[in-house]
Amino acid sequence: MTKMLLLITVIGITSCSPKITSNFTNPQPKLSIDEKVALLDIEHELPENLTKVGELRFQDSGFSTDCSFNSLMNQARIEARKNGANIVKVVDKKKPDLWSSCHRLKIELYKYDGDVSSLPQYELKLD
Amino acid sequence: MRIIFKTILLSSALFLTSCATIISGSRQNVEIASEPTSAKVYINEIEVGNTPVQQNLKRNQEYNLVLKLDGYETYETKLERKFNAWYIGNIAFGGLIGIIIDPITGAMHKLKPEEINGSPKSGTTYNTENGKLFIRISMDIDSNSEKVGQLKKSE
Repeated sequence: MTKMLLLITVIGITSCSPKITSNFTNPQPKLSIDEKVALLDIEHELPENLTKVGELRFQDSGFSTDCSFNSLMNQARIEARKNGANIVKVVDKKKPDLWSSCHRLKIELYKYDGDVSSLPQYELKLD
Repeated sequence: MRIIFKTILLSSALFLTSCATIISGSRQNVEIASEPTSAKVYINEIEVGNTPVQQNLKRNQEYNLVLKLDGYETYETKLERKFNAWYIGNIAFGGLIGIIIDPITGAMHKLKPEEINGSPKSGTTYNTENGKLFIRISMDIDSNSEKVGQLKKSE
């Protein structure tokens, strides 16, 4: 019984969230919810004249279940806004496979002075 | 007698495996209403309709909820995932299988509006009925806007 309770507690605390590693080399002033953030997948090209803000890496913590592509991109957008970036660019993507049921992403965050809504970009969906 | 007892025990374990998944499911119905009505609702910045609106959302995710209406201040809140007490049922019935399955399906969670110091954010009221979450948001008039007139339906 004690072991079962311990297991439930451990799973309850650790489950769902993927492991996020971040490295912000040039943080910018925070963006408001009304300021658009473009989500660029691997096939979408970056515009010119950008300032790199930092990098994010989403990995499978072993207990991650909230790790669909849409969910990770939404989390990346939240991190981008906090650090003043308005472009989220996926630079490396591993789809779910035999070893992990999660998407694993390497993302770069940029600040762009132009209109990000005019860029070809990924359209987020609700899972 | 012992065989009957064992059979009942085994059937219970099989049928009640993954308590929360069976009782609650991996998704939760969420209905969002506002005062006044017809506010545009955005979940994770995706427009889902005007209030009152209903969505069937995955339990293992957190969502940003934004309501916008002309003449009113934009309302922002979150739907957070909280612990679903049905998960504890695995101690009695689901066992190890339930303990593993419920987190995978997301059923070990339930969605609830964001709370500040244990109370819902100002302007939010909510209740849960049969697992369905009803959220009502009261929107404040935008102090920067000024009413210049009102359209009336012609008879």
